[in-house]
Amino acid sequence: MGKKKINYKRIKLKAGLEIHQQLDTKHKMFCSCTTKMREKEPIKIVRRKQHPVASELGEIDIAAQFEYLRKRTFRYQVFSNETCLVELDEEPIHFLNQEALKIALQIALLLKCEIPNEIHVMRKTLIDGSAVSGFQRTAIVGLNGCLKYKGKKVEIMHVSLEEDAAAIASEEKEIVTYRLNRLSVPLVEIGTDILIGYNPKEIQEIAYLIGIICRSTGKVKHGIGSTRQDINVSIKKGARVEIKGIQELGMISRVVEKEVERQLSLPKVNEETRAANPDGSTRYTRPLPGAARIYPETDHPPVPISKNLIKEIKRELPELWTKKLVRFKRKLKLSDELAKQILRSKYLELFEEIISTKKVEPNVVASTFVSTLKDLGRREKVKTSKITDKHFTKIFGYLAKKKIVKEAIPEILKYLAKNPEESISNAIKELDLKPIKKSELKNIIKEVTSQPGLTFDRAFGIVMSRVRGRVEAKDVMKLVKKSIKS
Amino acid sequence: MYSQEIESLLKSKKIKVGDRVRIFKKGNKYEGLLMPRIELGDSSSIVIKLDNGYNTGIKFEKGDKIKLLKKGRAIKFRSARIRLVKDTHKPTVSILGAGGTIASRIEYKTGAVFPAFSPADLLLSFPELKEITNIKGRKLFDLFSEDISPLHWQIIAKEVAKEMKKKIDGIVLMHGTDTMHYTSAALSFMLQNLPVPVVLVGAQRSSDRGSSDNAINLLSSVLTAAQSDVAEVTVCMHGNMSDDFCYVHSGVKVRKMHTSRRDTFRSINVLPYAKVWYSERKIEYLREDFRRRGKGKVKLDDKINPNVGLIHAHPGIKPEFVENLSNFYDGVVIAGTGLGHVPTNPRGDKFVKGLIPSLKRLIDSGIPVVIAPQTIYGRLQMNVYETGRLLNRTGVIGHNCDWTPETALVKLMFVLGKTKNMEKIRELMLTNMIGEISERSEVKTFLM
Repeated sequence: MGKKKINYKRIKLKAGLEIHQQLDTKHKMFCSCTTKMREKEPIKIVRRKQHPVASELGEIDIAAQFEYLRKRTFRYQVFSNETCLVELDEEPIHFLNQEALKIALQIALLLKCEIPNEIHVMRKTLIDGSAVSGFQRTAIVGLNGCLKYKGKKVEIMHVSLEEDAAAIASEEKEIVTYRLNRLSVPLVEIGTDILIGYNPKEIQEIAYLIGIICRSTGKVKHGIGSTRQDINVSIKKGARVEIKGIQELGMISRVVEKEVERQLSLPKVNEETRAANPDGSTRYTRPLPGAARIYPETDHPPVPISKNLIKEIKRELPELWTKKLVRFKRKLKLSDELAKQILRSKYLELFEEIISTKKVEPNVVASTFVSTLKDLGRREKVKTSKITDKHFTKIFGYLAKKKIVKEAIPEILKYLAKNPEESISNAIKELDLKPIKKSELKNIIKEVTSQPGLTFDRAFGIVMSRVRGRVEAKDVMKLVKKSIKS
Repeated sequence: MYSQEIESLLKSKKIKVGDRVRIFKKGNKYEGLLMPRIELGDSSSIVIKLDNGYNTGIKFEKGDKIKLLKKGRAIKFRSARIRLVKDTHKPTVSILGAGGTIASRIEYKTGAVFPAFSPADLLLSFPELKEITNIKGRKLFDLFSEDISPLHWQIIAKEVAKEMKKKIDGIVLMHGTDTMHYTSAALSFMLQNLPVPVVLVGAQRSSDRGSSDNAINLLSSVLTAAQSDVAEVTVCMHGNMSDDFCYVHSGVKVRKMHTSRRDTFRSINVLPYAKVWYSERKIEYLREDFRRRGKGKVKLDDKINPNVGLIHAHPGIKPEFVENLSNFYDGVVIAGTGLGHVPTNPRGDKFVKGLIPSLKRLIDSGIPVVIAPQTIYGRLQMNVYETGRLLNRTGVIGHNCDWTPETALVKLMFVLGKTKNMEKIRELMLTNMIGEISERSEVKTFLM
C-alpha cells in the first residue's frame, strides 16, 4: 500500500496532550515512604475486594460496577520501605508532601500558570484496583498557563499534582496483582488545550518542550515509566479518541500518524479509549469514559498558597531548559538531535560540569554520553552502569590534555565497565592506547604506502588497523592522502 | 461557612451554593459551580468546582467580582427507589442505626457525600444482602461514637428489645467504631436471655471509597445475625488486613486496638466466637461456650448508674486528684500498671506519693474502686508484690480478674444501678455474669 502524504491542516487534526511526569522527591505524596522503587521481594501480600460506591449516576451503573468488581480480587504486594499503612488504606493520609508541592508549583510557574490561592485535594475514582483506596488523589496547582512554540502560544489548561497509581505485576483471569511501591509517588499532570494547526511531528515537539520544562527543575524522575503521555486525537467530522500510556516521547508522532490513518480508514469513528503499543499502533481498551468522577478528599484540609511562598519559588526558579536547548545548539554547536538527547540524559549534569571545566569538544562529550554508552550497552552488552562519574571526568581530563584521542574512549569505557577498580592510566597502558607520535605514524604510513598498487581506501584501512584508538582518524586520513599523492 | 463579607455579597447577588458563577480576578476569569465552604481553611477563599471536576479556592479580594451565570439545581439526597420483596424462604434481619456511616452516596456533580440508611439504600449499596436475608431497618440516631453516652446505651437496649418482639432472626446494630466496645459491653449486661444474635458492626474506612471495609463487615454481621447460633451481643469486624474474613467477638471481651486498621477489633484474653467467611457464606466456630438461639423472651435490665470514672495509674499521679474523684463519681475504675498496681510507696521514698490513704478514704466513703489491667492483656494478681498486697488490703475490687478497663467500667455502672451496698457490689462485680471474666488464661489468645 503506497503511503499518501496526509495534509494535516486539511483534515483538521486536533490533539490534546496530557503529560505525566514523576517527581524525584524523597517521600511519597502523603506519607514518608521512599519513592525509590528498588525493592524486588514483597514482604506481604494483602488481598482486597473493591465495592462500588453508590452515586447519582444511576442504579444500572452501580449494578454493572458491582458485577464487574464482585468477580475481581486484587492482590497487593507490600514492600518493606516502600509501602506503609497509608498506601494500604489502613491509615489516613498525612499532610501533602511539601517538597512535591514546591516542585509542582515551580513547574506551574515555569509554564506561566495562575496559581490558586487555595489548593483542594480531590479524589478521582478508579475501579481497576490500581489505587488501593479506590481513588487517586489529585490537586490543581496551576491554571491557564502557556508556552511558546515556533512563535505561537500553546495554551496549558492545568497543572495538577497527583499521586501515581500502582503498577500491575500480573493479571490472571480475575485476579490482578499490583506492586504498591509506585502507588502514591508524586507526579505532575500537565494538560494542554486542544492543539489545532500542528502536524504530528510538531505535536511531539510540544510534548518534548513540556517535558524539558519539567526537567528544568532538576527534580523529576528518569528512566522507563517515569514519563507517560496520553493524547486525544480527532480529525474533521470524526470523534475524539483518547490514547493512553505512551511511554516514549519519540513515539508520539508515530502514534498520532497511525491514529489519523486508522481514523481515515474507517467509515465511522467511535469515541473510545485506546492504549499505545510499543510500535506506535494502538489497541481498543474501552469506550470513552464520561467526565471523571471526582469528589473532595475530606481527610485533607485545603492548602493555602501564600503570596510569600509564590514569591520565594519565583525567586529560585531554575533556568528554563528550553533556553538551555538554544544555548546548547548555538554556543556548544550541538546538533538539534544531540542537544535534545543530552537534555533528557541522566548525565546532563555531568556533561555540563565537564564542558565547563575541561577543554574538550562538547560534541565529543555529549555523544559519548548519548550514543557511545548506548552502543556499548546494546551491541556489546557492556554493563555501563559500573562506570562512575569520576571515571568520566578523568577520561575527559586525559582527552583535554591530549593524553588520549577521542577514538580511544569506547575501548577505555569497555575496559572500565569490566574492571571498575582499575585506574584510567592502567587502562591506557593495558589497552596500548597511548597516542602515537607523529613521527612514528609517518613511519608506519611510509612503510604501508611503499607497497605498490595500493588504493587509498586499502592503505587507510591497513594503517588504521595498526594505530586504531591511538590517533585521530582524520589525521591518518590526511597523512595517507598526502603520502599516496607524493 | 464563608466569611461574613462573602456571605452577604452572595446574598445580595442571589447566588447560592450549586449555582454556576464566574469570578473576575485581576484580568483572569474562573468559571464553575459554587461549592460550600468546609470548616477548614480560609473562609475568604471562594471554592468553585471547575468543569474538569476539580475544586479550587480563589481568594476574594478588593476589586474582584462574582457574577451569577446560571441557577443550579438544589443538591438534595433522594432515597433509592427499590421495591423490597420479602422472600419467605430466607431469614429476616433487622438493621438498626446508631451512627457510623456504613453506607453513603456520592453526588459527583458537586462532590457531596450523603449518608444513606433506609433498607432500600442499603440494598442499593450492598446488593448481596438480598441473597442472604430479608432486611428491615431504621435509624435510632446518628452520632459519632465518641459522643455516645451511657444514656444512649439505654435507648439502644430498649429499641433492640422492642425489635425482638417482631418475627426476626437477628439484629445488626450499626455503630461508630471508637466506642463500639463500650456499647457492646453495656448491651451484653442489659439484654439478658437473648433468643437471637445481636451483632454490632462498623467501618474503619469511610463508606465513600471503594476500599471501605463497610461492605464485608456488614455482610458478615448480617450473616452472623441471620445464620449463626451465637445468641449473644457480639462485635463483627474485619479479621485481618485482607478482605478474607471477619471475626465475631464476645461483646464483653473485645476492644478497639488500633487507631485506623480495619482489623482493629481484637478479642482480649479469649478466642473470638467465630470466623465468618463472607464469600463462602460460611461461619466457622472457634468456641462452643456461647448462648445458643432459643425461643425464650429477652429480658431488658437497663438500670445503670452512669456516674463512674475510669483513670490511668501512672508515675507521678496525684493522690489529691484520686481522692477528689468522690466529688464527681459514685464509682471509680483504675487501670493499674502490670499485675494491677498503683504507686503505694512501701519503702518510703522521698519522691513518691502513694495512693493508699486516698484510696482508703474513697472506699470508706462508699465509693467502690475497681482495678483493671492497663496492659489490656492478662489477669490481675495483687498477691505477688508488696505494692499489690497493700493495694488489695484497701478493699479495691479486681484481684484475679481479666476484664478490660472498658468492660470493668460498664460493669460497675451496671452493678451500681442495682445496689449501693459495698459488699453486694463486690460480690456482683466478682461474679462472672456473661463471660466478662474468663476462667482460664488460654495460651493462644495473646495478640491474635
